[in-house]
Amino acid sequence: MSAPESKPLAHPVRVKIVLAVLAAALTVAGGVPLFKHRHFGTPFVAGPGVTKVIKLSDYSPGLKGRFVDADVFVMEGAEPGGKALIMANTHANEPAGYLAVKILIENAVVQKGTLYIIPTINVSASRNTKAGDGYPLYYDIPTDWGRVRFRMGTRDASPLESWPDPDVYIHYPDKQLLSYLDLRNTNRTWPGRPNGPMMERVTYAAMELMRKEKIDLAFDFHGAETMFPVTNCIVAPQKSAKFATLASMMVKAMEGFDSHVEPSPQNFRGLSHREIGDFSNTLPFLLEAPIPFLDQPTGPKTVKLLLDGKDPFLLSLAKKKKLFVSYDANGWPMDKRVGQHMSTTLEIIRQFSKKTPDRAIRLSGAPKYADLVRDGVGKYFHDPAKAEPGRIHYE
Amino acid sequence: MNVIMIFYYLITAALVCLLGWNLIREKKSANDMILGLLVMIPLVLRLLRVK
Amino acid sequence: MTLQIGVLLLLMVAAYAVASLKKLSVELSILAAAVAGGLGGAFLKTPPLGELPRHLVEGMFPYLDVMLVFSTATFFMALVSESGGVNYVVRGAIKLFYNVRVVALLVLMIIILIPGALTGAGSVSILVVGAPVALALKALGIPERKTAAILFIVAGLAAAAPPVNIWAMILCAGTAIPYVGFTYTLGIPVLILGTFTVLWLGLKKEGGMDKAAALAALPPVPPGMKGWRVLVPFVVFFGMVIANRTWPFATPIFGLPLEFSAAAFTAWLVSPRKPDVLKLALNTMKRLLPLLATMIVVGMLQQIMTATGVRGMISYAVISIPLVLLFIGLAVIIPVSEGVLTYGAAAILGIPLIWFFDSIGLHATVAIAGLSILWPLGDGLPPTALIGRLSVMVSDYKGTYWSFLRQTWVPWLVITITSILMVVYSAKLSFLVKWSM
Repeated sequence: MSAPESKPLAHPVRVKIVLAVLAAALTVAGGVPLFKHRHFGTPFVAGPGVTKVIKLSDYSPGLKGRFVDADVFVMEGAEPGGKALIMANTHANEPAGYLAVKILIENAVVQKGTLYIIPTINVSASRNTKAGDGYPLYYDIPTDWGRVRFRMGTRDASPLESWPDPDVYIHYPDKQLLSYLDLRNTNRTWPGRPNGPMMERVTYAAMELMRKEKIDLAFDFHGAETMFPVTNCIVAPQKSAKFATLASMMVKAMEGFDSHVEPSPQNFRGLSHREIGDFSNTLPFLLEAPIPFLDQPTGPKTVKLLLDGKDPFLLSLAKKKKLFVSYDANGWPMDKRVGQHMSTTLEIIRQFSKKTPDRAIRLSGAPKYADLVRDGVGKYFHDPAKAEPGRIHYE
Repeated sequence: MNVIMIFYYLITAALVCLLGWNLIREKKSANDMILGLLVMIPLVLRLLRVK
Repeated sequence: MTLQIGVLLLLMVAAYAVASLKKLSVELSILAAAVAGGLGGAFLKTPPLGELPRHLVEGMFPYLDVMLVFSTATFFMALVSESGGVNYVVRGAIKLFYNVRVVALLVLMIIILIPGALTGAGSVSILVVGAPVALALKALGIPERKTAAILFIVAGLAAAAPPVNIWAMILCAGTAIPYVGFTYTLGIPVLILGTFTVLWLGLKKEGGMDKAAALAALPPVPPGMKGWRVLVPFVVFFGMVIANRTWPFATPIFGLPLEFSAAAFTAWLVSPRKPDVLKLALNTMKRLLPLLATMIVVGMLQQIMTATGVRGMISYAVISIPLVLLFIGLAVIIPVSEGVLTYGAAAILGIPLIWFFDSIGLHATVAIAGLSILWPLGDGLPPTALIGRLSVMVSDYKGTYWSFLRQTWVPWLVITITSILMVVYSAKLSFLVKWSM
């Protein structure tokens, strides 16, 4: 409520001008960093395995020329074989998957089959920030040759690309009612429509890619709170469950980390692990690695917390058995989370290749869990200063 | 940008104009001046397509 | 870390208290708390000082769309009121039902419920229909003190009523739970509690006037005002909402602000007298300013509390309280948090609460509904007391604020108990969500 003010101000115009100048200064000082964040790009060096870089709109003209159109890195082997699609930054505040695909793009070489990698499936969300949640705008990863800076994005596309929100989001084609925010969440808008709302166009284009290129396996990289029941796992529908289970057992036995299998719910629509399987011949897998930064009861939302996952409140809650993952004073470092995504993906590809040799995919040069935990993620990033200009893509 | 999104920019612009006009007319309350300016900041940044 | 964050929390509380003591408005006091928290946090680089302006500005955005809903909805209701539509309906209710007291009370209750239900703001109910309804209640022989109490409680329930419940929307957005399944989950308790309130406070006739005198006391209806003129704008609004639901893939997404704008345009078209739209819009924005500013500063506070770890620590504290104590504590925690932070309370306390309730097997949607009928009671508590003060104002009650508040104690208690039971037995009440889908 307004404070009661009976007397007119002595110098209303002067007061107003001073206040307006202060407001303008705050607008500029706060607005410029947000503007810069939206237009910042991290260099991705197309490694020896990348044979071409295309756009998602090549599969659906509804995206042509749009801000949300995404790059697709294609890595073709000399020998024909199966095909896999890897997507990161569906939720751009869950960055382990994004770092994992950067490593793959810069280091991996495919011998047999083809890999399609979309580093940022939700471009708009990766250039948006989560208002009210006090995230840092960027995080830096150290390397031997300097630091690489990444944008911290958020879960939902920006209203600058998708405005207004509906009263409720009605999923296409199932008509299930979802939260109004989910219109901007690319893990609720699958399988999408060619001329629907913007995020449905994005998922539709990815569906078209999978259908036209006859993709065998699709991976969607995520992170989940330690207090969220579906974390540290592979979410898979019935048709993918066999490979998910084998991979889960293998990484536990051979590489020493847990990633259990969660069945994809039949009745919860719009999710990649549900709709990709239902609307194409592709086998979908959604990988979740724990990300303590996203939990509610944590200390300050700092880059440090994002990268090392150490938090005293979570540690205390772990002792009270309120978390869904094991958690100790070592936190849950980024290197470990990236390593889990990498090794789980490679293992699923390996299991699939073993069972279907004519559609096998073989690749080399990708570090595994133990390598990443030992060396750190930054070790595998390439210096753009040493790359040919045509091989650098700003993501 | 589709037609409906344009409507939303128009609604936002209209609110900025109304708040601005009220601010210009405000003679008494420094409180209301500050509040008016605060409310205008995100609306202006949306119109400028910053956030 | 706990100590550092604790100091920051104290700093924010102190800044709020000092600002309030200096007679600054609630909005500026919340702003002071946010800025103080940010500056204090800068000492520990959580967040660094250079990032503070960005945090403050980014914090202005979480409720931007809610502000558009408020503005367009209030403008729409102001047009309906200005064209004489509200007076027409209130007069009609008295004319038809003066001798059937229970029905008259229930119709007046529905009239208060509608604007708040549509906008999510109890204050809109009071601002738009409060004055004529207060007159009608007086005409029915209800003293000012009780009239104010009825307006306050029912306007609060209106804010909680579907389709727009801002607390639930904030909670759903913050917890990634779909904002669906609330129609009966909220609608049934709101109607039952509203009915109880108007009957408890209004059934007994204490003085008053006869029907002719009552009608003479009500404001006149402009010539040419007819039922259809009141109805058509609402048909447009609900038509757009229903069209979206019925043919979702053939209808574009309008969004509430555009739906309210279209309804407002229609109200202006069919109004028998053409109000000065510009003047009305300027007045609407002036009246709404404190509410809109609350949305802004609460977002800023939320951003700073998260960046500094204060919100995380509060979440931790809430989750760590023994369950039974927590359930009982809700009776105090929820309204008091609303009194201090208004909608910010939903984000700061509500989100961790819902996460926690969900993780122990309670039904999140029902729990959200339960909490969101308790929150509006806080709108009668200082320092904000937004709806409480407005209720006293429009009902022309001259007594002290506390004597008004004491009048509400029975409905207050019943609402509190209902709300807590809804949370505790949310799993058993999940059928309400199924009905609503």
